[in-house]
Amino acid sequence: MSSKLLQSLYDSKLADQIREGATLFPWIESLHVLAITIVVGTIAIVDLRLIGYPSHRRGAKRLMRDMLPFTWVLFGLAIVTGSLMFISNAPSYWADTQFKLKLITIVFAGLNMGLFHATSYRRIVDWDEALRPPLIVRVAGATSLILWIATIFLGRWVGFTLAPVQ
Amino acid sequence: MEPLINWIYQTPVSTTIRDVSWIIPVVQSIHIAAIAALIGSALVTELRLAGVVATDESVQTVARRFVPWLWGALAVLAATGLIMATGEPDRVLGNWVFWLKMALILAAAVLTYLFRRPLLRDEETRSRSGLHVKALAWVSLLIWIGVIFCGRWIAYAL
Repeated sequence: MSSKLLQSLYDSKLADQIREGATLFPWIESLHVLAITIVVGTIAIVDLRLIGYPSHRRGAKRLMRDMLPFTWVLFGLAIVTGSLMFISNAPSYWADTQFKLKLITIVFAGLNMGLFHATSYRRIVDWDEALRPPLIVRVAGATSLILWIATIFLGRWVGFTLAPVQ
Repeated sequence: MEPLINWIYQTPVSTTIRDVSWIIPVVQSIHIAAIAALIGSALVTELRLAGVVATDESVQTVARRFVPWLWGALAVLAATGLIMATGEPDRVLGNWVFWLKMALILAAAVLTYLFRRPLLRDEETRSRSGLHVKALAWVSLLIWIGVIFCGRWIAYAL
């Protein structure tokens, strides 16, 4: 991202309000924590099932239908709240290594999900009820779980490495 | 509270937690990952009781899967929380938001112990359903959400 764009995000009225408002940032941050914990909590339930840990129902497809609407809605909230925090201090976030690593783990989690949907998920009838799904499904579940836990660690780490507002 | 905070602050274990730079970030990250496990478990259990999720599965099946995870996550949260409070007692023990958080956790834990743990056995709970069960499920979930908000606000209130 160009430094001009980052600076114009920083200079925007909305960013200014988030910086100057006494309690706006903590509220956004709290919503962000709520969102990511529900995102990761619900994804983990699906991931564990893909790895072979039984859940509250046997069928993997219906389990995904139970959980993933929550995941998507709260993921949307995490993106919105994350973007608001980002613009409030855009140049610092963009200069922060942990922040960029976090974006990468999220992108890889998305690619892993896309790959899963394009491959194993199409043949879900073959393994829907299997408590030990095929290896490729278990690998997809484990990869997702690792990437999301890494995202949590990197996100918390940003709070310690980020340069404060100028 | 002040003398206690000072005493904890000066102990070698407290000093070590502060001085080793990776301890607090790692412990906080584990804390958040455990919150994800807790809120995921609470969400499914309470929303099943509220009649929103997995209504074709029995309440017992759902509770058996998630209530043990809820207690496990709570144990990890207590352990990591204790490390944070030991390392930075000045930021935690003198903070009213922290005590509000503890009160909310106690309320949620008591609700879980009294009303969710019996669901692990079938026979007792067949009869119990209806409006107050649903209301209690929403209350429980809201308390956990309140706990998460308080957790973040400890950093801002003193």
